[in-house]
Order: sequence, then structure tokens, then C-alpha cells
Amino acid sequence: MSFRFDRRSVLRGMLGGTAVYMGLPVLDVFLNGNGSAYANGAKLPVRFGTYFWGLGLTDTPAGGTRWVPTKTGPGYEIMPELESLSAVKDKVSVFSGFRAIADSKANQVHWSGHASILTGIAPASASRFDGPTFDTLIADAIGTSTRYKMIDVDASLSRHPVSYSTRTGTTFASPETTALGLYTRLFGPGFQDPNSDNWKPDPSIMLRQSVLSAVKDQRDALMAGVGKADQIKLDQYFNSVREMENQLAVQLQKPDKCEACVLPAAPKEGPRSASVDVVNANTKTMAKLLAMGLVCNQARVFTFVHTAGSSETYVAGQSKIYHQITHDEPTDTQLGYQPETSRIAGMVMQAFGDFLVEMNSVKEGDGTLLDHMLVMGFSDTGYAKIHSIENIPMFLAGGAGGKHKAGQHIHTAGDSVTRVSLTAMQLVGAPVGEFGTGTMKTARPITEVMA
Amino acid sequence: MRSGRHFATVISAVTVATAFSGAALAAWTKTYVVEWNEPAMYYGAKSGVIDPGTDCPKGTNAEIDWIKVLMDAGYTREEAQWLRNPANPTRSPIHGQNQMAFRGKDRANVYTNPTSTPDPGLVGVSGTIAEGLNLDGDEKTGFTSPTGEKGIDNNFYKALGCWKTYRGPPRLSSGALTFNDSMRNGSWTTVIVVSGRGADPMNDRNVKVGIYVSDDKMVKDGNGNIARDYSFRIKPHAKYEGIVSARSINGRIISTHPADIMLRNPAYDKDLELLRARIDLTMQPDGALKGYVGGYRPWESIYRGWVNARGPVIEALTWVQLPAVYYALKRNADYSPKGSKGEKTHISYALRVSAIPAYVLTPDATRVASSVESYKAIAPQEPERVTGLFALVVDGIVPDRNAKVQAGPNAVILPPPSASNAVESDKQ
Repeated sequence: MSFRFDRRSVLRGMLGGTAVYMGLPVLDVFLNGNGSAYANGAKLPVRFGTYFWGLGLTDTPAGGTRWVPTKTGPGYEIMPELESLSAVKDKVSVFSGFRAIADSKANQVHWSGHASILTGIAPASASRFDGPTFDTLIADAIGTSTRYKMIDVDASLSRHPVSYSTRTGTTFASPETTALGLYTRLFGPGFQDPNSDNWKPDPSIMLRQSVLSAVKDQRDALMAGVGKADQIKLDQYFNSVREMENQLAVQLQKPDKCEACVLPAAPKEGPRSASVDVVNANTKTMAKLLAMGLVCNQARVFTFVHTAGSSETYVAGQSKIYHQITHDEPTDTQLGYQPETSRIAGMVMQAFGDFLVEMNSVKEGDGTLLDHMLVMGFSDTGYAKIHSIENIPMFLAGGAGGKHKAGQHIHTAGDSVTRVSLTAMQLVGAPVGEFGTGTMKTARPITEVMA
Repeated sequence: MRSGRHFATVISAVTVATAFSGAALAAWTKTYVVEWNEPAMYYGAKSGVIDPGTDCPKGTNAEIDWIKVLMDAGYTREEAQWLRNPANPTRSPIHGQNQMAFRGKDRANVYTNPTSTPDPGLVGVSGTIAEGLNLDGDEKTGFTSPTGEKGIDNNFYKALGCWKTYRGPPRLSSGALTFNDSMRNGSWTTVIVVSGRGADPMNDRNVKVGIYVSDDKMVKDGNGNIARDYSFRIKPHAKYEGIVSARSINGRIISTHPADIMLRNPAYDKDLELLRARIDLTMQPDGALKGYVGGYRPWESIYRGWVNARGPVIEALTWVQLPAVYYALKRNADYSPKGSKGEKTHISYALRVSAIPAYVLTPDATRVASSVESYKAIAPQEPERVTGLFALVVDGIVPDRNAKVQAGPNAVILPPPSASNAVESDKQ
């Protein structure tokens, strides 16, 4: 039997009658000269994340818009509600005219839009999705070699945690809802500094790994002795155990050195308020932490919620929340749009711009973190006043490791939102050829933005 | 089913059926799907949706000062401000502030007991022009149509035409946009079958119009418009069906006799019951069918429809006090099924309808409907249960099952000092 070792190799053996995994130190043979890429030519990893905000952007019933550029292709103009993207415009593609198609199902307000984008299936009810969200598919493809398969973040400071990531459609991820919580998750107990010269495998992890592995024979025996229904239940349960085993195995490897990874200071607890200035500040703080978590290889896939579909955010001092204003504000005759709605939409989008700027400010290899990632930004509605699921604003930001021909405006006259989702999956290397069901089923990514 | 190839099959079936059925079938049939329908609310301003106009000289009813309303109802200013504060945890971002219901006499629920508060006042239409139909046959009563016809009965418009949810140019009021978007995205489908016995559809003394629902959803074209010429099966429905006798004159189809009908309503309350219903629909050169379906509606169900859509939400979003809607509808009710001396339980109303050509099939989908007939006898019983969000509504509000203190007449409004201090510190 011959063995080939690389930086991912884990030594496997028996310890006290139970299996153990032992990582290998980073040997010179695994690295190139400057440590920015691996000697085998592998590029820096590509990360993927979704960024969601509630209540869309401002359209008008007469067809005007505050966000859709008039120019398509490269060099689109910055519309008023996209002002916050100016600094990273060349790294952001704008997708307009895409719609969720409910087929025979009703529009579940503040739900059908993003459910369709994330699952490719128009939901039958407003309490669940009818399939897994595609971020989990991407995590399965590219998220297995990091400490966490995915990180879920909710910056909304809502009364209840908000996550739209699900494998089952019924159980949604439990996101980190505070900056301190996210810091602790990423850099608290269990964090292994990839740049430390004194790295040693954590004995507690070895113990947990051993304990998990020790039950394998019993597990197999149990599986053989139960009926089919119980086998399915057990299989789902053991799948999660196997994922934990894999994560523990990752932590038993000496992490690759990473110049960009700098342990951030622990944030202070901020105020808990859904006012947009507080939510935006929380978004920025959590974006900084997330960016460092990504370059420190704690995860390669994330979901980030700025505000929920039924957004609770409001402008401090106002008695009406943003959600209410989108519905009750009349269109200004002279301006041709809802001015206050548009103003707050700009504030909400400021957070998305800040988020991307944070990703772009972290130098990594020959570029920035944003160059080595893809962020799909999207919302739940188009024209929020009537809960429209047409012309839902969608964005792809980041270079995806050179795969994304960014800085373009792609417009269609009503194509399915799933085309953008499929494009995102393929840009980051998920092995997906088609996505969606019914009228939203598509095998046509948007090739104009694919290098 | 919706392909041109399928259509060819259908046409063959119609031809055969006509050949063998002979006189049982109409001489001609035209079939449509409703691509837009909204209350016929004549807009008298030049543009916008709230601007002053001949219909509402002061424009749309203004936004409500809810602090004042609550204080008038007996709440202190501090309580009123806290109830309207977005940071108040009892104010749901989805269902609104439930305590808003309790502002009647002795803090009665004004949604279920609107007369527990004096009429807050809803400014109605003061113009003389309205769209709709002459329901009572009397040209001396009612409005004048935009084309100069007298006797237009539309007191629904008179009562509620300056309410923001209904006001605006055709297809641009927020209510019309909301419900038609829902319909066009698949919530329901309404189809129309028109048939006649004469040789010329444009001028026929014996016309029947059938209005049905279909479970087949409309399809949008690439521009987001409803596509023509798709196929829809009539769904036999125990409630939603309307059959009206009419005649056509130069393509205008006008009722010859009133009828009692029930249609799928483009509103929160799904039932559009119309007594003594009439139609005025015109066949357009491009093949479309446009005009009005009108009749007398039970006004209390209109009010209840808005209450059941969650009073606090409707009031906040549409700039209205729901008790004012109750009083306005009651004040303008103009019909009693019991006769001229009976209590006015109904109000005149018109629905503005736009339909486009479609293939409307019989319920078994074997052929294009070639006559207007009732399918109620074969309709399954419709469950009365309310589903979705509105199943959660109790007396006009959605109780928060997890709340420590429920809204109500005796609710403690202000938070304990420690909580309010925390909120204040959040603002700093």
C-alpha cells in the first residue's frame, strides 16, 4: 500500500482501542515560496455567502425605479439607492428584471421571493421552505475543510433570530445575533491561530474525536437491527455526527499559515435596537469579524441577514417602521416615487455597501478577500408597497477567484430568479447543473458574468 | 394544455359538439380571463394618488395623528407615545399594535364594537362624477358617468372614494395594485363566458354572460403582462358564479334583467355578493372585454373584511380609523332586500373589469365552453374555514401568544422603569 500526503492529509490510527486522527504539520513541501498559495498551485480558497435585506428597493407602479441602471453590460451607472456600492462598483454585478414565479401557489408575502431564490421552489406556505437552501449545497461542496461548514449571522437585532438557511425546509439555522456572539464563535474557545508557531493538537478534541469514532461499530450494528424508517432517522442523525467528525479532524490538522489572519479584539456588547443606524453599525462590526473569520479559515460559506423580510427596522425618532412606510407612503407626484421609502432604502443599502467594503479591505494574496469570494445580495420583494415578487433586486459581488466577470448590469424581462442562484453556485464550483422546479427550473446560468 | 397545439385540438372538439348538439348551443361564444379588476373609483385629480381633485377637493383623507386619537380615547400622552414607539415590544412589526383596538368607551374594542366610539369622520366624495351602473333605473338619483350618463349608483365610491387605499388613477391605487398583483401571481383566476343566440355578436338581443372561477393560473408574458389565449378550466364553485342576461348593442353588453350573483372579490374579504347585479361590458376592437359589473353589496361584510385583515395594520397603512369606515358605509347604504322601507343593509357598488381573450373550457376540459350555464349543481361544498395569516385574527387583532401581558381594556401600557430606561439608553 502506498500513501500520498498533502496539506489535507490526516493520519488515522487506533488509540486505546479507539480510532484517532492526527494532523500533520505544514511541511515546506506543501507550500510555495511566500505562503500566499499552495505549492501544488492551488489558489487561495473561494468563499461564498448570501447577504439578505428585507423590503427590496424602490420601484414605482408606473415603471420608474430608484435602483435599476439604464445601461446594461459593463460600466453601469450608479443609481440613487446603489450609491453605497460606488467604492466597489467594479466588483459588483447588478441583476434586474428577475422574478420569482409562484406557478400555482399564492404569493406568500415577504416569503415567496427569497424562498424562491434560495430553494428554487415557490413555497406553499409562509412558515417553511419546500426544499433546502442552496447555500447548504455550496457548503457541502466547498465548506468541508474548515472548522465550521457554515457560519450564519443575523445582524438585524430583531426580536427573534432570523435565518433563511435550511437543509430541511422546516428547521432553520441558529444564527449568531450579536457581534460578541460571532466573535466567540469564531475566535473564542477552540480557535486555533493559524500563524502560531506553537501549535499542538488540542487533547480535548482528540478525546472527542476518539469518543465519536469509538461508537462506530455499535452504530453499524444498530443500523443493521432496525427497520427502514428508523434507519432513515438514524442515518440523518449519524450524518450530523459524521459532519462533526470531519470538523474535529480538520481541527486536528495544523492550519495553513495565513498572513491575512489577524486575531481581532473582542467587541463590546452594543445596544439592542432595530433602528437602522444601530443595525447598520452592528452589520459593519459583524462584517469585520466575519471577514477575519473567513481569512482565518474558520469557514468558507456564510449567510448574513441584515434585516428580515418583514423588516423591523426604523429610523430613530420616527413612529413608523420602515416596513409600514413602504406600504403607506404615497408615490410623490412630482418625483414619481416614494421619497421616504427610497431614503430609507438607501440607508439599508448603505449596510450592504459597508459589508462589501469590509470584505474588500482585507488584503489577501494578490488581491483582497472580496476578490476571493462571491457574495449574493438579494431581498424578498421588488416593489415592496404591494409585495411584488417581480424585479427583485439581486447582486453578485466579488471576484470568485477570477471566475466572476464583475461590474456588469444584467437585465431580463422577467426571467426566473433561479438563474442568478444557479450562476452563483456554478461560479463557486458547486457541482450543480440545474436548479429550481416548475417554471423556475433552469439550466441556464448567466454566462455573461462567468469568466 | 396551454400550447397552441392543444388549442387546435380544442377547436376541433367545439366544431364537433356544435354539429351534433345543434340548438342546445349558442350561436356564438366569446371567452375571456379577467386580467385586472378593481372597485370603480373615479379619480378626479390630474395625477398622483393623494392630490386634490374634483372627487375629493381636499385630496385623500389625511394621515391620522394616532397620538391624538389615543389621547382622545383616554390614554395619557406618555402611554400614547409608548404605544406608537417602534421600540415597544408589544408593537409587532407584522401585526401592529394590538392595544390600538381598545380605544372605545371604557376601552372597548372599536373593531368589533365600532359604535363604542363617536364617528371619527371619513371625508367622502363630493364630486358629481362616478363610474358604475344605474342599478335602480332612476336617472334622477346617483352620479353622472364620465361619459354623461345619469343615474349612476355607486355609494361605495361616495363613502370610501377619498380613502387612500381606494383612491388613484385606474390600476394605480394601492388596493388595486395589491390585490391584482396577488391575482395575477396565482391567488385566483376569474373567467368570463359570453354567448348569444343571434347571428351578430355585436348586436344580439339574447346574450348571456357567465362569470366563473378557475383553478388554472394566469401566465405572464415576458413583459409581465397577462398572456392572451391560454386555456382555463371552469371550476364549479358553490359560491363564486354569476350569470347575467343581457343584450349587445354595437358591442356593448348591457344587462336586461338584474341578477343576484357572487364573485371572487379582489380584496381581503373574498366574497363579492351583489344583489340586483347588472353588467355593462364592451367588446373592444383588440378582442378584450372592458366595463363594469355592479350591484348592491352587504355593507357590514365590507367593514368586517377590513377588520379581519388586522385592524391595527389596516389603520396604520391606509390612513383611516376603521370605525369611520363603519359609519361611512352605514350612512351611505342605499338598498334593502326587504323593500324600500326595510333597513338599508346593502350599498351600491361597481367593479371595473378588464378581460382578455382566453380559452375557457368546460370543467371536464373536453371543449371550450360553448354556452353559459350554471355549474353550482356539480360544485363540491366549499369549506368555510379561514386559512393563512387571517386565521390568526381574533376580534381584529392577532394575539401574541408569547406575550406576558395581552392587549386589552385592562392592559398595563407603560413598561416598568428599568425597561424604559433601557430603551432610552438605546437611543443615545
